Amino acid sequence: MDTVVRVEHLNKEYRLGVIGNGSLYRDIQSWMAKLRHKEDPWTQIGADSRVGRKGRFLALDDVSFEVGRGERLGIMGRNGAGKSTLLKILSQITAPTGGCIKIRGKVASLLEVGTGFHPELTGRENVYLNGAILGMHKAEIDKKFDEIVAFSEISGEFIDTPVKRYSSGMFVRLAFAVAAHLESDILIADEVLAVGDTRFQDKSLGAMKNASENQGRTILFVSHQMGAIKQLCQKGILLEHGRLIDSGPMNDIAMKYQKLLEGA
Amino acid sequence: MTQEKEKDEDWDLVLTPKNKMLWLDIKEIVQYKDLLFLLIRRDFVSVYKQTILGPLWFVFQPIVSTIMYMFVFGSIAKMGTDGIPQPLFYFTGNMLWTFFSNTLTKCQDTFNANAGLFGKVYFPRFTMPISYTVNSFFTFLIQFAFLIIFYMFYLVSGTAVTPTWWIFLTPVLILQTALLGMGIGILISALTTKYRDLRQLVSFGLGIFMYVTPVVYPLSNVPAQWAPFFYLNPMTPVFEMFRYAFLGKGMHNIWMWSASLVATLLIFWLGVVTFNHNEKTFIDVI
Repeated sequence: MDTVVRVEHLNKEYRLGVIGNGSLYRDIQSWMAKLRHKEDPWTQIGADSRVGRKGRFLALDDVSFEVGRGERLGIMGRNGAGKSTLLKILSQITAPTGGCIKIRGKVASLLEVGTGFHPELTGRENVYLNGAILGMHKAEIDKKFDEIVAFSEISGEFIDTPVKRYSSGMFVRLAFAVAAHLESDILIADEVLAVGDTRFQDKSLGAMKNASENQGRTILFVSHQMGAIKQLCQKGILLEHGRLIDSGPMNDIAMKYQKLLEGA
Repeated sequence: MTQEKEKDEDWDLVLTPKNKMLWLDIKEIVQYKDLLFLLIRRDFVSVYKQTILGPLWFVFQPIVSTIMYMFVFGSIAKMGTDGIPQPLFYFTGNMLWTFFSNTLTKCQDTFNANAGLFGKVYFPRFTMPISYTVNSFFTFLIQFAFLIIFYMFYLVSGTAVTPTWWIFLTPVLILQTALLGMGIGILISALTTKYRDLRQLVSFGLGIFMYVTPVVYPLSNVPAQWAPFFYLNPMTPVFEMFRYAFLGKGMHNIWMWSASLVATLLIFWLGVVTFNHNEKTFIDVI
């Protein structure tokens, strides 16, 4: 099968605690000390500056996997396992500290519903703005506008009202409707379905599945909702402490995750 | 077809630890031009939504400032204006300075103001400072149109204001102001994610910067021994030449201007490099 996403030995290291010293003055002092081969006056007590690895934390540790065209991959793991970090790197929000990711095709990522919605603007204006933020062209949104509004189940008179007057349900439905109409080759989604009622969730999952089956769209999906992830994905990977500990058919992965949760 | 694709491994996107770019990815920004238009529109419209005066605010503020300048600098401090009518002199200075300082102030906040957005979705980050700059340019245009009306009135009534051929250089001067404001702004924006102290310095620094730039006084009022320091400021020739172009008085030295243009481009480039370097890592820092 045609590989569209290849993740190779991906690492992401975070420094714990304060980054830099927080102020220019202190950083200059640290820097001067380094120049004169003296000890950094701002080294944290107990931390040995020669080790240099202390106080660092690997959010992702040598993660490698591949995703083929049209596959729907579920990413599972407990809190802090590195799922969100992985999605953030895939979505180009932050850079990895090691390894690389190769991607073929256009990526759309949905880490949050309604990103960039402005409360003062009307529903219509926000559909355009949000669509553009997600990488759509104006012509594309023009073409799909009616479809988006229909999907969101927002009635005609509300679409020209500022979204600050919307109920939270309406807001979320409209926001998701925009995302559901993205035309990308690869869709990356994080917990976005935790919003809206069950019926709308089912409808959204159905829309995502359809796009994958009919248009060959690849989906990478993170969720804690066992039902949703099993319904959507065929394959899965399981992360634990930043390492990829297992991959395989979604049902097996879901079972392993369940065991992990039960503290086995 | 598929096999061919597998063979030459033509990936569309490769994400590696360091993407050091020394210039802007213009192609990518053009791809997102629709977003750019919408951002500009959003910021422009949301400024005067639910206000009574609406777009009138854009001229109300400089008029009040001009009157204040006439009172404080003209009547109390009795600072000269090179024989240029006070309202024209102060309005021009205020308009240009507002353009510069608005651009700088908005751009320097790019990462802090958009942390939520930048943390959730990728789009070329540089669209933000561009939209801010275009926005302050619109404000500038409205004020400029107002100035022209004002100016015509003076011309017709036969006051001693004489436009010169340098008037055709105005677009370059405006572009220079925008690039300098943006350049310093994005440079600070990249540094403030790590060093918050710089944020405190911006409004303070801008206040100082205004007084060492010939905004409310002409360069000819500056004592000769201090003048060389003023030439080091890339904004000095912009203000002086802008006034020379429209009002007929002011320094117009092509060499000094060239030097300030080079300085502007250098600062802008430095800003772009720092901005690029920062955009991939700032979210882990902020």
